[in-house]
Amino acid sequence: MSDDVILRVSDLSTRFFTTDGQINAVESLSLEIEEGEVFGIVGESGSGKSVTARSLIRLIESPGRITSGTIDYRDEELAEAVREDYPEAVDGAFVDLLAIPEDVHRSLRGTAFSMIFQDPESSFNPSLTVGEQIAEAVEVQRRASSNPRSTRARTRSSAYSLRSYAAAAVLPGRGYVSSDSKDRAIELLQQVGIPDPEQRVDEYPHEYSGGMLQRAMVAQALAGEPDVLVADEPTTALDVTIQAQVLDILRDLQEETGMTILLITHNLGVIARMCDRVGVMYAGEIVERGSLGDVFDRPTHPYTQGLLGSIPDLDAAGGRLQPIGGNVPSLLDAEMGDRCYFADRCPKAMEECLEKPAEYPAEGTDDHAARCYLADHPYEASQALPEDYFEESEPP
Amino acid sequence: MRLTRFLLRRTAQGILVVWGVITLVFLLRFITPGSTIDFVAPLDASPELRQRLAEDLGLNKPIYVQYADYIVNLLQLDMGNSLLKGRPASDVIFARLPATLELAIAATIVAILFSIPLGVISATRRHQPVDYGATGFSLIGISTPNFWLGIMLILIVGVNLGWLPTSRRIIGFGPALELLIFEGRTIGIQVWFEHILLPSITLGTYFTALITRLTRNGMLEELGQSYVEVTRAKGLPETLVKYKHVLRNTMIPIITVLGLQMGTLIGGAVITESVFNWPGLGTLIIDAINSRDWPLIQGSLIVIGVGFVVINIVVDALYMYFNPQVTFE
Repeated sequence: MSDDVILRVSDLSTRFFTTDGQINAVESLSLEIEEGEVFGIVGESGSGKSVTARSLIRLIESPGRITSGTIDYRDEELAEAVREDYPEAVDGAFVDLLAIPEDVHRSLRGTAFSMIFQDPESSFNPSLTVGEQIAEAVEVQRRASSNPRSTRARTRSSAYSLRSYAAAAVLPGRGYVSSDSKDRAIELLQQVGIPDPEQRVDEYPHEYSGGMLQRAMVAQALAGEPDVLVADEPTTALDVTIQAQVLDILRDLQEETGMTILLITHNLGVIARMCDRVGVMYAGEIVERGSLGDVFDRPTHPYTQGLLGSIPDLDAAGGRLQPIGGNVPSLLDAEMGDRCYFADRCPKAMEECLEKPAEYPAEGTDDHAARCYLADHPYEASQALPEDYFEESEPP
Repeated sequence: MRLTRFLLRRTAQGILVVWGVITLVFLLRFITPGSTIDFVAPLDASPELRQRLAEDLGLNKPIYVQYADYIVNLLQLDMGNSLLKGRPASDVIFARLPATLELAIAATIVAILFSIPLGVISATRRHQPVDYGATGFSLIGISTPNFWLGIMLILIVGVNLGWLPTSRRIIGFGPALELLIFEGRTIGIQVWFEHILLPSITLGTYFTALITRLTRNGMLEELGQSYVEVTRAKGLPETLVKYKHVLRNTMIPIITVLGLQMGTLIGGAVITESVFNWPGLGTLIIDAINSRDWPLIQGSLIVIGVGFVVINIVVDALYMYFNPQVTFE
């Protein structure tokens, strides 16, 4: 195991148990993220990107559940603190985030890792000022740091309840946030480039524009000085110029603080602009991973090739888009079977693909790998599946 | 400031509304069947006597003169003499008003105290026994008729168990409080409390059930909003997520219904008042209507109208507090 790895996800599966059946949103996903890098996860809608992000901060709500796997997070202090109470969660300097109780985990949110969400407009509480909401995030961190991790679990739960009920119901917001945190919120707003932060801090979300709200969300996510920032489609709801601004802010902050960013997006341009390494996600799995150059310049998995091929080429005038045929599979357990999930859309599907492919090294190294038989084997036209193979075999 | 300006404007609007109520109440007399004279005069009264009575009451003047007199008198807080009791209608009404207000406020307090925590617990422990208990209670509470509940409470708590008095209001809250403050005797408050407990439970049960259901559904809806996930992601303690963020946004529909319900309670809870022999406005109005006691009817309706307007202004001010997007521009 590398010393640089800060987050190591192995065999993570997240399922949703709906009345229609079991949905395998994330399927035995494994990845390693190194400290200080920007790791991108790219994939189509419905490929399980957002569920992956939420699994990392353990915010999967019923009917969903993380059914297997470990998420090891490197933090020596934390490992030391929980070693005694939860020895099974600790492995050297790594702590399995799925094996610690909820209140310990909550104390890590905002401080060890925080998250930027997709839609800034609906990500703020409409009835509290933006500054109040950012100051809350600061306050969480302040209280956590004045309260050593080992004792967090014990002192947390009961202390707030009654007082906060009274304070929150009668005088919402007066009970929790200190004025220092409010000042820090102003600094943070300034840092993400909000003009007039002293005045803006007391305004409500509906008085902000979408781009400003997204910046405010970046400020909120940074409030706890997290080690890992999970950004789930941080720019999708924004128009292109604002997208660029928000990405620049993220990039600058990353360089300044050296934090690790996990960037989740369907936008290949954003990935190309921001990331050091990339994982391509399809049907709940990472189908190809490697450095940005590996994956974008020498894609190995037919899906990655198709994805990159579907980008319109401005130089080739009049050329038509090259879409990938078919749709993302439904992820419903009953319909998935035990084959390569991309085989039905794959132009190079072979008989081998009817079995679930392992992760094969591409280009001979483990740094660039693909979940495709072809990564390590030549394509044999004689074994190709007939084009209508899946249409016949699938139920009507 | 924002709030002061808002209150000033709303008060001006409220005065207009009250004037509308006053006018409608006045006109009501002319479109209701049955002449006032017939109720006031003895059955065997001679035409001359009836004529004199009509003149005394000013009933023979043209409508616009009557209207002007009526408005001028009202401005001096003179609602005329109650035909039935021979005393000023305002005296009769204001003697009854405290009883009604006490009951309305007590029922509202019962409702708020039980319903909001119950709704929150129910929503946050969805599909657990507590939730089933709370939803079961609100279903029963909403469907139980007031009069039946009142009678049952009287029968069980008052008669069979003998814990509480069955009816009447021996002492008002004001005098009881005076007794406590000036003479240091708690007996007044105690007697007052014993008497108001059953009526306010009777009146408050439907209210509680309604608000419980509203709180639960509102909380569930708000808990599904994406800002809740964001709030959790930044590590805020769950109590704050629920009370500071979610409950606050749930309060808006709750306040609306609270205001409407309180308004109807000020109009007098006729049935509950009758069951408990509670001397409030509701029974007074019924008596006044039955005997065509117009000054009393008009006065009561005006008081209720003013009450409604005041509650609505308070509700709107609370809206502004809970939802900054509301501006009323």
